Amino acid sequence: TLRLICTTTAVQRKNAGASGPEKYTEAYIEKQIEEFNLGKRHLANMMGEDPETFTQEDIDRAIAYLFPSGLFDKQARPVMKHPSEIFPEQTKIQWGEDGRPFHFLFYTGKQSYYSLMHETYEKLLNVQKHQDELIAQDLPLQKEKRNLAGSRWLTKIELEEMLVEKMSDDDYSRFIQLLQKLVALPCADIEEKYIQKFAKEVPVQLQKVLIEPLQYDERGVAFSTGEGKRKTARATAVVYDNGTGKITVNGIDILHYFPVLQDREQLLFPFQFLGRIGKHDMVCTVSGGGRSAQAGAIRLASAKALRSFVTEKEVEFMRQAGLLTIDPRVKERKKPGQEGPRRKFTWKKR
Amino acid sequence: MAAPSATGLCQRLRAWLPRIMPVRWSRYNPSYLEPEVNKELYQKPLEELTEEEREQMELKAVRPIKAAPPTLSSSVFSDPMISKFTNMMMKNGNKVLARSLMSQTLEAIKRKQLEKYHKAPENEKETIECNPYIIFHQALKNCQPIIGLSNITRGGKTYQVPVPLTDNRKRFLAMKWLITECRENKHRRMMLPEKLSQELLLAFNNEGPVIKKKHVLHKMAEANRAYAHFRWW
Repeated sequence: TLRLICTTTAVQRKNAGASGPEKYTEAYIEKQIEEFNLGKRHLANMMGEDPETFTQEDIDRAIAYLFPSGLFDKQARPVMKHPSEIFPEQTKIQWGEDGRPFHFLFYTGKQSYYSLMHETYEKLLNVQKHQDELIAQDLPLQKEKRNLAGSRWLTKIELEEMLVEKMSDDDYSRFIQLLQKLVALPCADIEEKYIQKFAKEVPVQLQKVLIEPLQYDERGVAFSTGEGKRKTARATAVVYDNGTGKITVNGIDILHYFPVLQDREQLLFPFQFLGRIGKHDMVCTVSGGGRSAQAGAIRLASAKALRSFVTEKEVEFMRQAGLLTIDPRVKERKKPGQEGPRRKFTWKKR
Repeated sequence: MAAPSATGLCQRLRAWLPRIMPVRWSRYNPSYLEPEVNKELYQKPLEELTEEEREQMELKAVRPIKAAPPTLSSSVFSDPMISKFTNMMMKNGNKVLARSLMSQTLEAIKRKQLEKYHKAPENEKETIECNPYIIFHQALKNCQPIIGLSNITRGGKTYQVPVPLTDNRKRFLAMKWLITECRENKHRRMMLPEKLSQELLLAFNNEGPVIKKKHVLHKMAEANRAYAHFRWW
């Protein structure tokens, strides 16, 4: 019999097209997981380490050692990770052998999103019914307010991961509005468990920062250092205790270094906020940036140095006054096709 | 020493850049809150705060806060309205000149009021206001229009429809009118601070061209009352 060896491109391209991204069967993925685990043990043996306690970081180091690559793109280099991280999470096929879909909302296109909205609304109606029952029996409504400050809702990306389905910004905001409406009702405690699926804890900001202890120089005077930056200016400040309120910048007194009143006000801002104007001496070095940037950098450096002299509550007050945040605003880049970062070229009719 | 905490903060405050760049954006993540500089609010004990303030405080403890801008300070001399006015007077980014003009204006107001104070008889001395900041605030308040006009096009014709204004818009219009008035309708050799102090004193007493402009706007709005139903917001 004759066998066609070279086929035309039209025949080859018959079934490609509207099937979307490649769908992996479950058996295939399980096989990949087995292969990965075996490969991990082989790799551990090769490197001379214990196969039982071979972590992902060890795998990464071993691969980087065995397959050194000079490619710039980190994602193009050889990688050995668990298949659940490599193969994207996909939903299984949603319809049976007769072609009928399993879920009743399949034809909306976003079945998980709409089923989630339906469930949440059902909970809302439940809460309202419970409320009506309590009112009918003349019992007082529970008014324990949930602590809203300590938790935040899931972000859009996290929700997409949870549902394994894409959604638009509008859909996400509608879902969050529905959740907020549910939480705002007085008897929402019944559905606490359901709501907690979509809420995350946010830790208190202050606990992340370490405050250094005071240091003492030869004369026994306490001092502490701080670093600050703003735009391109970098500053270091050393704040001494038992001082008269003298401030020196790069060896020059501030009255001569900063002739403008606004800059001197900024330098004194942290001291004035804490009420310690005449009590500390300061010696700073600053370089780079312009007049206002240098003042901002020194302000940040002195605020950071003052943290060691002051109680924790006052440090929190300083943070809420905006004294301890690095200002991220920098000069915006010029874009091609425009004269400046925002200004466009003059429009000429012809 | 100070290095680990500084690098830790830098990593967390890395530039906030969403995947698609919108046109109006800021370098801060949207979750950052505005800083509160007023010292007295922090010295209030816990019991005196209302429910809303307590919630606000708890929210502030969890969210990051933006850095205070260079114009804002906790000293008694920094006033947000005066800074706004100085920024509007500024040309080509020359803040030094704008600030000196502002201080010269306030000085001129104080001098004129003191002259009046010393010349006035005993019983009228208490009615004369000498504090230039109070005069500035009161003058601005007197210049603020209550209702504004907006152009709405219906069926080819553009109508001037009376529309309520937000607080920010009122303040902006009052300051803008004062500045344009002083820049245009003055004698060639007169200095801006002198002219501004004159205008502010007249506005403080509800006289002067800026107040007249405000009344003209109100009258136009009253005349176009019939078109008020064109507004849909």
